[in-house]
Amino acid sequence: MRLDLQGVGKTFDGVTALESISISAKAPEFVCLLGPSGCGKTTLLRLIAGLTAPDMGRICLDDTDLSQTPARERGFGIVFQAYSLFPNMTVAANVGYGLRIRGETPARIAARVTELLELIQLPHLADRYPWQLSGGQQQRVALARAVAVEPKLLLLDEPLSALDAKVRVELRSEIRALQQRLGILTIMVTHDQEEALTLADRIVCMQKGRVAQIGTPQELYHRPANRFVADFMGISNLIDLATAQSFAPALLAGRMASDGTIACVRPEDIVLTPGTGAQVKSVQFLGHISRLLLDWPGGELIVEQPGETALAPGAQVGVGFSSGKHAWVAAS
Amino acid sequence: MSTLAASPRRRIDLDRVFIAVCLLVPLAALGLFFIYPLATVVRRSVTEPGGTIGFGNFATILHSTSFWRATAHSLTMSSTTTAVVLLLGLVVAFALRRCRVPASTLVMGAVTLPLLMPSLVQGLGLIFLLGRNGLLTKFFSVEINIYGFWGLLIANGLYALPQAVLIISAALRSADARIYEAAEILGTSGWRQFKDITLPNIRFGLLSAGFVVFTVTITDFGNAATIGGDYSILATEIYNQVVGQMNFNLGAVVGIMLLFPTVLAFYLERVASQRQFGASSDSAVPIVPVWTPKRDLPMTIAAWLIALIPVVTVGVVVFASFVWLWPYRFDLTFRHYAVKVAGGYDPLWTTIYISIVAGLIGTALTFSLGVAMQRLPRQLIKPIYFVCMLPAAVPGLVLGLSYIFAFNAPGTPIYFLYGTAALIALCNVFHYWTQGFLTTVTGLRQVPASLQETAACLGAGLPRVMRDVVAPHMAPTIISVFFFLFMQSMVTLSAVIFLITASVSVASVSIMRLDEAGFTSQAAAYATCTMAVVIAASLLLRILLAVISGKTTKP
Repeated sequence: MRLDLQGVGKTFDGVTALESISISAKAPEFVCLLGPSGCGKTTLLRLIAGLTAPDMGRICLDDTDLSQTPARERGFGIVFQAYSLFPNMTVAANVGYGLRIRGETPARIAARVTELLELIQLPHLADRYPWQLSGGQQQRVALARAVAVEPKLLLLDEPLSALDAKVRVELRSEIRALQQRLGILTIMVTHDQEEALTLADRIVCMQKGRVAQIGTPQELYHRPANRFVADFMGISNLIDLATAQSFAPALLAGRMASDGTIACVRPEDIVLTPGTGAQVKSVQFLGHISRLLLDWPGGELIVEQPGETALAPGAQVGVGFSSGKHAWVAAS
Repeated sequence: MSTLAASPRRRIDLDRVFIAVCLLVPLAALGLFFIYPLATVVRRSVTEPGGTIGFGNFATILHSTSFWRATAHSLTMSSTTTAVVLLLGLVVAFALRRCRVPASTLVMGAVTLPLLMPSLVQGLGLIFLLGRNGLLTKFFSVEINIYGFWGLLIANGLYALPQAVLIISAALRSADARIYEAAEILGTSGWRQFKDITLPNIRFGLLSAGFVVFTVTITDFGNAATIGGDYSILATEIYNQVVGQMNFNLGAVVGIMLLFPTVLAFYLERVASQRQFGASSDSAVPIVPVWTPKRDLPMTIAAWLIALIPVVTVGVVVFASFVWLWPYRFDLTFRHYAVKVAGGYDPLWTTIYISIVAGLIGTALTFSLGVAMQRLPRQLIKPIYFVCMLPAAVPGLVLGLSYIFAFNAPGTPIYFLYGTAALIALCNVFHYWTQGFLTTVTGLRQVPASLQETAACLGAGLPRVMRDVVAPHMAPTIISVFFFLFMQSMVTLSAVIFLITASVSVASVSIMRLDEAGFTSQAAAYATCTMAVVIAASLLLRILLAVISGKTTKP
């Protein structure tokens, strides 16, 4: 199963929502569409689902153009943020709904529903109604409903955003396990970079209706293509060329002429030494790490150290940069 | 799944056909049973006695003193009623929403009682209390002439009060408790809070209520017919021109004249209600009033007294229907229930039949139009929406008159409908179309789009999405619209008064005829039967809604 988007574009009332998006993905990949709100990621998902029609470009599944195929004939599974279980149907009826539409026999539907409810570990809730379930349970059922029909493609629209932090982390790994077990090509929309980093085989980072960068989580984190990606993926210190030349010449080692003009240095890649050069402005204790804000001649720096730190606001420290851990990125 | 891919072409077409049918059937009905009849009113108004086209009829009407007298009466009566009803409505709504009033559910039920009966019941009740043989008249042995302005004012006030209370209390409900808590902490007194926060916040709700009351009273015919006496108003003027003098074209002119104030009031009402309810936020904290004797004791007394008026007025009608000879012999009897008007209780059965048909047709049409409109481009939605708003601005008498012009026309293919119960049902559907349509559209908006999209992604075609997803969600709305149309059709008089024939008549007309003939107690008996049906329907509605909400949502 292979999905190809070729130059896909969409405008709403003259406002460009998406501009020439080209992406390829193959089963059993897990692809995250990541970006801030308004970047067009949900629109892109809806175009793939067939709920909205593109103005330009082609969407192909295994070299078959989907433009004439309405959503209900694409055979995809979808899960929305708001659970979207049919309130008038029981859990079992919700999961079996797609099969009922396909005219499967009641016996086969029942067997498949049982199998799926066991897979999501909720077999005892088969006869409950959605309102009797917690948010996490509802979303598991929605997931089971989506995969019940053995979809060619699984589409997830911010499926975890409405859940509590703890449930979100639990369900995250369940989604990943289910996806790997079934081997379904999955596309998930999220604005949460941590979610994308932990779940995705590949991330499509989007900015104002365009693809800013496509790559593995590691590529996006360590070698962001531009300032936007560097800023959006985790915390970074962005140091421009002139500042680096004056205050951090170590960063210039190995820099090519074709490289961008902004150095992206991750907070964990800055080494603090006894000495002077910067002053601790504030300290945040986050449990597993401590985050320090430094006053540095080239501007402010964010530094992370494992566990607790002995440094207190006002302390003088020396700043060192680990070699080869930073990336030079384009300014835009 | 492999079963899915077969014949995609055919299914695309099926969805398109489904939407087209959903759109075109209601639009065709609106065209034939609303736009076309209204156009005939305009045509007849400019058809002069000789058959030529011109404004002669308008000149005749504008030169007649009776028209100007009726206009002056209508405006005076409606604006006085509006002022009184707004004040009383504000008192009741404020008491129910913002004060601790014991038995507030009963107060609400009492105040909304007049919605469940033909408008002439208030007139009848007043006659039993204050008429020449009224209970109070005899008891205090005073001579009051209740027929005329004062009777009309009280009867119309009772009739319009529920609408005012409902609108104003809706406006009062949308406020945020935190605003009042902030005022409290700033040291604002209760009266200042009312004057500086409450009143400004509900001003559009008050305006909206005012325009609704004005429209309802200026177009009402039932009360004017029973208790108006010689105090002629525009509604009776139309009726007299058409039924009394057979001047159909002059009636059309008066009808158009009546359209001016109602269309204007309706337009202003829409503007006001959008201002009032457009800005309310979901995150508002509801207000839970605390017991404040200085405020709540007087408000309780006021609310109870106001609620007592409709209860007494309606109660006396029911009571009088069982009394041997009002007000001389108070033995209880069923003799008035043997009605002597033509057809006996047939019109009541016909009305029930008509009301069920109107409910079914109206619900089906508004639902399918609402569904189709959700899938139309925006530039098409606006004009359809506009047309759907128009019926609310057209007085029932004008609509009824328009049906005579359009359907009592031998030689046209639609003549066969004239004199049938079906036509009366259709007339009721379009008389109350706007409210039914708005309720349906609001209900449809609350069906989450993602549910329908999920079903589509799972492979469901549109009819199936409607059946499995939209209809269950819409069940409370569909049932409410059906019962709204049913109950309105049971009690309406103004439009159907022109459509009845010797063989097909309705209950409210029977009540009016009995009253006109001097059989007031029989009229009361007939009204009681009609009320019983409507109250039963409203109880059934509540039970159904409770059953549904118990099944699908959290209790």
